[in-house]
Amino acid sequence: MVFLGGQVLPGNVGRAILGPFADQRAVDALNHSLGVDRPLLVQYGSWIWNFLHGDMGTSYVFRAPVAPFVVDALGNSMKLALVAFVLVVPIGILGGVIAALNFNRPLDRIISLGGLSVTVLPEFVTGIILILIFGVWLRWLPIAAAWPKGAGFFTQLYYLILPSLPLFLVLFGYIARMARSGMIEALDSDYTRTAVLKGLPWRTVIWRHVLRNALLPTITVIATQTGYLIGGLVVIETLFRYQGIGSLIFTAARGKDFPMLEAGILTIGIVYAVATLIADFLYSVLNPRIRLGAEQ
Amino acid sequence: MSKNYRILDLLRRGRTPLENHLIDGLIDGRISRREFVRHGSLLGLSLPLLGRIGMAAGFGAAPSLARAGAPGATIRVGSSVPAAAIDPVTIADAGGLLVMQQVAEFLCVDGPDLVLKPALAESWSPNTDGTVWTFKLRKGVKFHSGGEMKADDVVASIDRLADPANSSNALSVFTGILQKGASKKVDDYTVEFHLDAPNGNFPYMLSSDNYNAVIIPASYKGGYEQSFDGTGPFKLEKYTPKVGASFVRNDDYWGEKALPDRTEFTFFTDIQPQILALQGGQIDIINQMPVLAGVAVLNDPNVDIISLKSSAHQQLHMHCDEGPTKDARVRRAIALCLDREKLAAGLMKGRSALGNDSPFAAVYPSTDTSVPQRKQDIAQAKQLMEAAGVGQGFKMTLTTERYLEIPEYAQLIQNWVKEIGIELELNILDQGAYYGDAVFGKSNWLDSAMGITDYGHRGVPNVYLAAPLKSDGTWNAAHFKNKDYDQMAASYIAALDLEAQKATASKIQKLLLEETPVIFGYFYDYLTATAKGVAGVQPTAMSQLFLDKASKG
Repeated sequence: MVFLGGQVLPGNVGRAILGPFADQRAVDALNHSLGVDRPLLVQYGSWIWNFLHGDMGTSYVFRAPVAPFVVDALGNSMKLALVAFVLVVPIGILGGVIAALNFNRPLDRIISLGGLSVTVLPEFVTGIILILIFGVWLRWLPIAAAWPKGAGFFTQLYYLILPSLPLFLVLFGYIARMARSGMIEALDSDYTRTAVLKGLPWRTVIWRHVLRNALLPTITVIATQTGYLIGGLVVIETLFRYQGIGSLIFTAARGKDFPMLEAGILTIGIVYAVATLIADFLYSVLNPRIRLGAEQ
Repeated sequence: MSKNYRILDLLRRGRTPLENHLIDGLIDGRISRREFVRHGSLLGLSLPLLGRIGMAAGFGAAPSLARAGAPGATIRVGSSVPAAAIDPVTIADAGGLLVMQQVAEFLCVDGPDLVLKPALAESWSPNTDGTVWTFKLRKGVKFHSGGEMKADDVVASIDRLADPANSSNALSVFTGILQKGASKKVDDYTVEFHLDAPNGNFPYMLSSDNYNAVIIPASYKGGYEQSFDGTGPFKLEKYTPKVGASFVRNDDYWGEKALPDRTEFTFFTDIQPQILALQGGQIDIINQMPVLAGVAVLNDPNVDIISLKSSAHQQLHMHCDEGPTKDARVRRAIALCLDREKLAAGLMKGRSALGNDSPFAAVYPSTDTSVPQRKQDIAQAKQLMEAAGVGQGFKMTLTTERYLEIPEYAQLIQNWVKEIGIELELNILDQGAYYGDAVFGKSNWLDSAMGITDYGHRGVPNVYLAAPLKSDGTWNAAHFKNKDYDQMAASYIAALDLEAQKATASKIQKLLLEETPVIFGYFYDYLTATAKGVAGVQPTAMSQLFLDKASKG
């Protein structure tokens, strides 16, 4: 699909590398040396064959093996996603819980409205505002997310704080809202009333009965956002000069660098699949009904 | 100051008739001192000699730009990401050629004043008709890999670029000028270039103006990123594709050793993060800053702007062979709608020079500045439309690319031509979609009835005069076919003598004003931003950056 889609884009590889003002003979010579003047099926066949043998191919544009690019970019993306994840999931859920427990009181309004307002702001707006505040005026945090070579865990973390903040802002409202509505529903349910009436302490009711049920939809939402956190951050990666897989795919598509594009998209596909698998697994841990169903 | 004829006579001895003619021009006041220096350097006269002649002719000493800064700095540069593997033969993008130019050098360098300065060549001279140019090479120049640079390396480097089988990006520069095998070694330090036709500006094609033309070892077989070999004042320390590059001083350099200990280049995919990084103190220099994106720092007291006059521009072409713009009067009418003063002051924030619908920018010494500047004149435009039989106006599509200020420029044009009844529909495409395959029949650029295309800076107008305007030009998006023009362009390109170039330039300028196949609205400045205290940085409008004299205060 990706392979065919790429073929209908205007322009060709040699032209993309040499630019519009290069001589046609030079473009033809380059296309020939890259092998992109062969029939489509031959190109596709040789790519699939190599891929199945563990060779992701050689980038047309960088004339170097694709695998190290993809592996590095995926590693970077996962680090950023992890930092954002660790920040936003607990705080988002906590925000939702607090809002639900204070249903329709000012604190609820502040969390719901505030969270929703920053969610609708695109990352490039919040990103630039955050850079201006923390990077340019206060100079507390580095602007580019690329840490110096050989940096340790804490240095890397320090460099990742600023780029993960816009992601936090985008996702916080979303997760908090899901957690809040799940909580409200659960608080309102018969089993919660039963639990309260049978004299369980409030804390136990919340932990053992309400939260477990309330978080199910939230987990689904978080799982669907994992793919976005890893593969969809082109804007953040550009703004913070971060070498993630989103911008890798974006530039590969623009440069008609098919081996890079295909390897990148396949990798993201795998990430989505794994994220969904983990979400299903968590779901079953939290929801005994599914587990029981499986045992029956 | 008075003229010292005794010294002038001494200096004239042994000079060719062409060179003496140039000196006459300076003494008689037919050409200015700036033009004299520039054209003298083109003919291969050394800068000290040109300075002595200038002194004897009563012009005083040339101002020295050299500022000695403190050595030992680490200079940090923000630049665009190299778009492909860095290879002198194929490279075409600003980010990549900036990295390559840090380590590899040219035979001569086209400086910010468009004066050619010797680099790996010590001198050069044409034969009487400009068909053979002889370059004398500098002795004792060492490649970073150890060997001495000699004629074989020069011949191989240039031949590689002129070979159609090599995917050479410089092939479009050399086509019709220099063929494969036409670069000949005379001895270890002398090379002759035998041209297809007389060419008065040939040294520019071996200078930094032709950014592929760096001299690398004759043994080069591809895979430049493995060696980054060259002769330059800096050696590569580390290159990471898509991330950055760093360089250290080359202590074996043939010339003055570089002041900085190290330089660091950080690649950015966009300009905004570069501006933020400069403001946040994480880089010292933004190599190339488009005026529209850089508005935020143009007046920042912590940032210095180096502004180079350049010939970079956006060409607005109109098909001369079909549709309403087939009539030259309609094309002139459209050109008369543009308020160029407003373009220069508003859109370009005063960082541009007015265009007069020919490639002859004010920066070129051969430009005839007495040709009247075209100005906005709606009344005359309406008359021309009436005379062409389209007084009631018409509808048309303007196709262009999303790049720099072009979309905004297109909108301004759309508004201006409304006044004479032309309804322009804008079709603004991604750059890849606009250029397409870049051959006639498969490219929005070359096939659109009206379009705007970006052209980078060139030290001489030869490229602009040929490919986009000659009848058989490969970039002739206007489909302009005019025999008189073809002849004039050929004679301009062949002319060795500045005054002959000026005379032909004047004719070309007038013909293009009459025909207006392409509207040249403005020529924009090349801007480099540096943090306060950074000195000695020397950019060129070809997006090269010389850092060997850079220092931090």
